[in-house]
Amino acid sequence: MTEDLVRLLDGNTFVVSEASGDIDASPTIPTGLFSFDTRFLSKWLLSIDGDRLNALTVDDLEYFETRFFLTPVAATPAIDPKVSAIRERSIGGSFNERLTVINHRSEPVDLRIRLEVDSDFADLFEIKDVREKKGQYYTRVENGCLRLGYRREAFQRETVVSTTEPARIDEHGLTYDVRIGPHGEWVTDLHVATLGVNGRDLRESLQGRPGRVKTEMRRDLDLWLRETPRLNCESASLMMTYQRSLVDLAALRFAPLTAGGRSLPAAGLPWFMAIFGRDSIFTSLQALPFAPDLAATTLRLLTLLQGSVLDDFREEEPGKIMHELRYGETVGFEEQPHSPYFGSADATPLYVILIDEYERWTGDTNAVRLLERSARAALDWVDEYGDIMGNGYVWYQRRNEQTGLENQCWKDSPEAISYRDGRLPGLPRATCELQGYAYDAKIRGARLAREFWNDPAYADRLEREAAELKQRFNRDFWVEDGEYYALALDADGGQVDALSSNIGHLLWSGIVEESRAAKIAEHLLGPRLFSGWGVRTLAKGEARYNPLGYHVGTVWPFDNSFIAWGLRRYGFAQEAAHIAQGIIDAAEFFNGRLPEAFAGHDRELTRYPVQYPTACSPQAWSTGTPLLLLRTMLGMEPRGEHLVTRPGVPREIGRIELRDIPGRWGRADAFGRGRLG
Amino acid sequence: MSDPTAEFFDGLGRRGHEPLLQEATGTIRFDLEHDHGIDHWLVTINNGDIQVSREDREADSVVRADKGLFDRIVSGGENLYAAWVRNELRAVGDIRLARFIQRVFPGPPGAHHPRMFASERRRQG
Repeated sequence: MTEDLVRLLDGNTFVVSEASGDIDASPTIPTGLFSFDTRFLSKWLLSIDGDRLNALTVDDLEYFETRFFLTPVAATPAIDPKVSAIRERSIGGSFNERLTVINHRSEPVDLRIRLEVDSDFADLFEIKDVREKKGQYYTRVENGCLRLGYRREAFQRETVVSTTEPARIDEHGLTYDVRIGPHGEWVTDLHVATLGVNGRDLRESLQGRPGRVKTEMRRDLDLWLRETPRLNCESASLMMTYQRSLVDLAALRFAPLTAGGRSLPAAGLPWFMAIFGRDSIFTSLQALPFAPDLAATTLRLLTLLQGSVLDDFREEEPGKIMHELRYGETVGFEEQPHSPYFGSADATPLYVILIDEYERWTGDTNAVRLLERSARAALDWVDEYGDIMGNGYVWYQRRNEQTGLENQCWKDSPEAISYRDGRLPGLPRATCELQGYAYDAKIRGARLAREFWNDPAYADRLEREAAELKQRFNRDFWVEDGEYYALALDADGGQVDALSSNIGHLLWSGIVEESRAAKIAEHLLGPRLFSGWGVRTLAKGEARYNPLGYHVGTVWPFDNSFIAWGLRRYGFAQEAAHIAQGIIDAAEFFNGRLPEAFAGHDRELTRYPVQYPTACSPQAWSTGTPLLLLRTMLGMEPRGEHLVTRPGVPREIGRIELRDIPGRWGRADAFGRGRLG
Repeated sequence: MSDPTAEFFDGLGRRGHEPLLQEATGTIRFDLEHDHGIDHWLVTINNGDIQVSREDREADSVVRADKGLFDRIVSGGENLYAAWVRNELRAVGDIRLARFIQRVFPGPPGAHHPRMFASERRRQG
């Protein structure tokens, strides 16, 4: 359904349209022009003499500009079209479209060119279910512009369409009656402004000062690509995937109003062009060796938004790192809690992990000292508010029972956490990877306390707590008859005993007892979890396993990148290389753009990875996946002031050269030769 | 008559230092509109050191709202960010500062500690 849609974006302003460039939004095909979580165009339909246009080709020049080559719907395909049209669309500050209509005949032609325009001003949370809106709509034709508006109390959004060529404008669109000479062309520039209160630019209206007047998107992209390391390797698939990832990561950068022009990764297009705690942290971790500034901005922003009070609706607690922040109507009127919403139990320990990893790569000790108070608050959260049962584990149980999330781990769909037999545990739940993150946060927090905060007593305490947690965890989560760690504990302390990919994150965290690591690696690469492309979210044989189940059988590239990192941590270079190879092979089928998830079918069965039907693409942590896989294959680690490498490259990928890797060493190179496989 | 806003700012000024604002430096002015005019409150933050005055002078960040709304915000009955999205409260200038200061506003009354909430739910079983 969404494969043919064309996307353009600039931060949280984006367009999703059909291949013809038309927008005709419906609940099932949610196209439109969106900005700050509101749809500003729900209809944008071009016709010539009453005929809609068909796409001949679509030229995705960059993520911020596209060209659509069109002809009117031809009654008889054998006849050459007498006219054709080109839509050149770009986004950057606002939405611009240059419409060119070409007469292919040797005589003049009279045409009626019509653009149907409408907006439903739907909030992003209403897109799939646009209900009766509570505010009032209005439409005005004025000064050669079409102004569409929506107002609810003091909340206001406006779309203003203007044209360089004169048009007859009515409340439903623009009409041009034109005569085009022989082999001539007619051109108009259309401009769509997305406005907030009193007709001011939305950014200006929200923050009281204008946004970028003229965005130099291309120069910005060139600069970004110049700053990132250069890859040379024998695998064409890896080369393509790497380049695609860098460009997509550039596209997903998002400069929130409070970030002072700096950017961090948004979660994914189209529905997640917003700040997400977990997604921003994972993506920043993946991209650290390539674009460390993303981590710096992520940390700064998540710190600014750190919880300070108890709030049931937002599920906020002091020291907690937020989950999702939005700007739309439903948030303002508190029909949705994303102001921000804090419903995730992993973002807070992951935040401490990112601080430590960021310092290890960049040597930015100043930042680490500035983050001391908030990092301590995050570590306190783990023990005070994360430990709902008071037994030394991190748990979650939503307090917003209307609009809050039932599962507050990365597998956040309602049925993601189940027993082998398919039953769902009651609340609260303590998933295993949360304990791994908490363990790692304490270990890393101890290093920060000792080296930068001058508090060795606190460091000792954190290390002692981490050791106790590891011991407790290995006792309570170990499923004896299956020889793996349970997916979760239920409120009675019983094991939620399904076999899942979560055990791979445990390797990354270091909470796995050395003697058990080989067994975990064996499960991860075994037939129940490994599909041939990657590790499935849930093992075959579990009652809820479904190769197309969002978190219960699909393969998530990001999940696999952290699993591969974890395998290397425990010395399983061969196994890590095998996963890296599978995911990079899969990327080739998606032209280098890994989707959020793909089906968990056996590789031998389908021969190609089947994309999960409604997966988000590009999605930030999938985009970051090839970067972390490169780090993993090259065995890149900061050691003191140096970058060290221990290559473990699959034979099929061959030789890898990665040059100009930024870090505390300035710039360094890494090389690896394919020997594993 | 009680004046939650005045009580809030008086209390803030008395704190002298607020660790939650340690990372913030700058001035923020609140212009609170009511039937008889506009009240001004100027908060000067220097790495968490706080001074409060009633001066109406230029600031790095200016927050404008109806005083009645602001009374509810400082009592935990309304959320500052949601009011800003609804455009009932406007922030001009350095909106990072406006965001920072939200940390010292109280949460909604009656909110639960997660442990308390979980044990209540278990009792209801």
